Amino acid sequence: MLEVQDLRKRFGDKVALDGVGFAVQPGEMFGFVGANGAGKTTTMRIVMGVLQADSGEVRIEGRALTGEDRRRFGYMPEERGLYQKMNVADQIEYFSRLHGMSATAARAATAELIERLGLTERRASAVEALSLGNQQRVQLAVALVHSPSVLVLDEPFSGLDPLAVDALAEVLKDRSASGVPVIFSSHQLDLVERLCDSVGIISAGRMVASGPVDELRDSEGRSVLKVVVRGAAPGWADGLRGQVTTDGGRDVLTVEDGDDQEILRTAVRAGTVEQFGRQRPTLAEIFREAVA
Amino acid sequence: MNTLLLVAGREIRTRIRTRSFIISLAVSALLVVGLAFVPKFLSGPDTYKVAVVGPTPAAVENIAFTPYPDEAAARAALAGGDADAALIDDRKIVSEGELDQRLGLLLENAHREAKIKSSGLVITPLQVETGADAQYEGVRTGIATLLVMVLFFLLIYSAMYVAMGVVEEKSSRIVEILLAAVRPWQLFGGKIVGLGTLGLINLGVVIGAGLAAASATGLVADLPPGMTGIVIGTVLWFVLGYAFFSALAAAFGSLVSRQEELNSVLTPMTTLMTLTYLVAYFAAVEPMGTLARVLSIVPPFSSMVMPVRSAATEVPVAEIALSAGLMVVAVVAVLLAGARVYNRAVLRTGARVKLAEALR
Repeated sequence: MLEVQDLRKRFGDKVALDGVGFAVQPGEMFGFVGANGAGKTTTMRIVMGVLQADSGEVRIEGRALTGEDRRRFGYMPEERGLYQKMNVADQIEYFSRLHGMSATAARAATAELIERLGLTERRASAVEALSLGNQQRVQLAVALVHSPSVLVLDEPFSGLDPLAVDALAEVLKDRSASGVPVIFSSHQLDLVERLCDSVGIISAGRMVASGPVDELRDSEGRSVLKVVVRGAAPGWADGLRGQVTTDGGRDVLTVEDGDDQEILRTAVRAGTVEQFGRQRPTLAEIFREAVA
Repeated sequence: MNTLLLVAGREIRTRIRTRSFIISLAVSALLVVGLAFVPKFLSGPDTYKVAVVGPTPAAVENIAFTPYPDEAAARAALAGGDADAALIDDRKIVSEGELDQRLGLLLENAHREAKIKSSGLVITPLQVETGADAQYEGVRTGIATLLVMVLFFLLIYSAMYVAMGVVEEKSSRIVEILLAAVRPWQLFGGKIVGLGTLGLINLGVVIGAGLAAASATGLVADLPPGMTGIVIGTVLWFVLGYAFFSALAAAFGSLVSRQEELNSVLTPMTTLMTLTYLVAYFAAVEPMGTLARVLSIVPPFSSMVMPVRSAATEVPVAEIALSAGLMVVAVVAVLLAGARVYNRAVLRTGARVKLAEALR
């Protein structure tokens, strides 16, 4: 398990992180969301050891993270970067060596990944000669080639076309299914909702919500009861603490709390109930509420 | 350490294949070979060909006499370039254009000697005696001046590559991925070691080419004793000088995020190097002067002045030891400070980072 505990970081007068903490289980995909400048990148950089926290700690399996642990991590920073003049295969192989693989293992892993990412024909091309999409693949390869023990990806989906998004999502699911904790940040909340087991919402350097996506959506006060009634007399819901909107002969009642059975009986008496059920908020709604 | 060598290996592999490295290698080797041929070119041919009409004089060193039946045939040989001069009936010398001064003297001398000998007079030639130092002074100064140029060229070019490499990694943001896998000092050190190895290869080629050219031109006979010592000393001083200046280059380079800003941020380093070059050049010409003696002890000037001074003249071992000791201390200090600056500045992309801020 990877734990981030109470990270604090200042840049001059500006407080970037003010007690950020969360945990990611092995095999779990953790979505890290927040507005620009909320502290996502800073947190990820501290996890990777590229930045030092003023206080707080990153732990793995219950102990403080060491340089050797981090060497087995895979990282894709928000600002992509590759050696422009180095060819694809050399580049991937070089990074696998830097991550501690032997020369033989590095060569084998590089060949396999090039094949899997569909870069076989470009393996001897300089990175600068590749299309943007292929450069992204090389970037991903550099993060994955050493079979990392933890994956940290900063905005991995930004700038990808829908097909590439699906492909990357598959790769990440695959890694996570093999027991690797995966952390990624994204502005695409629907994507996070679809892919992630857990999310953390950060705002102005603080975690405002974090936990399994289902729990966040189900948690009290977040889900609302939605009742659609046709042909009801006006004022039928006056006794209930909810809001009624009328839409083409149908009344839509939303209630945040109350006895749902009592509400159902009232609705049945008033007219024809077309829809009755709890409606869970989307991640986007939770996010807006949390950072507001 | 392993990681440092991996980084160094990449630097070597990628740079050694570039056109600019090959060109610089070829240019520096050609320069040295060319300079080795200069004395030979200036001193004229080894053996003069002289056409003779009438009696052939006794053998004279460096002159090959060829008999011709008459003056017209001799003149034809001159015009055809088959002879450098013609000696007619032991009476006059004919040449195309100006007569080579040395050839003139040799012929004149031979003529007089023959006449004196025939008159029965015996003259013992003057004996020449020179000091051991003076004997090779000219050659030593020549080697020292050449060394200044080669050292300066290699130092500044290797250091520039270090700085450019640092900025390349910073501007392409690849440094962030690198630093997630390796420590900053490994990256800093690997770059310096890798590009330094290329500098040493280049120095080796230059020295090899120089010595080969010297033996091809027969210049090697004029080389002073202790050339091996001079060569080894030069290589060691190059390593020290390179470590010093490349650490400065990497540290200054890490302050900026764009290649365009590199020149201005490197100004202190290039100024220091140019200054070192100038005093070293001065030391080559006047190796016994006070300036040369003092600056051959003070780092980083010593990195170029001392090898140049050692080539130009004999330097007491104690002075060399003191100078080397001080330089090693300076190199360690600059490496530590440089690694610190690099560590602090290399991830701060955007505006140029102030040196004082990075050192604090």
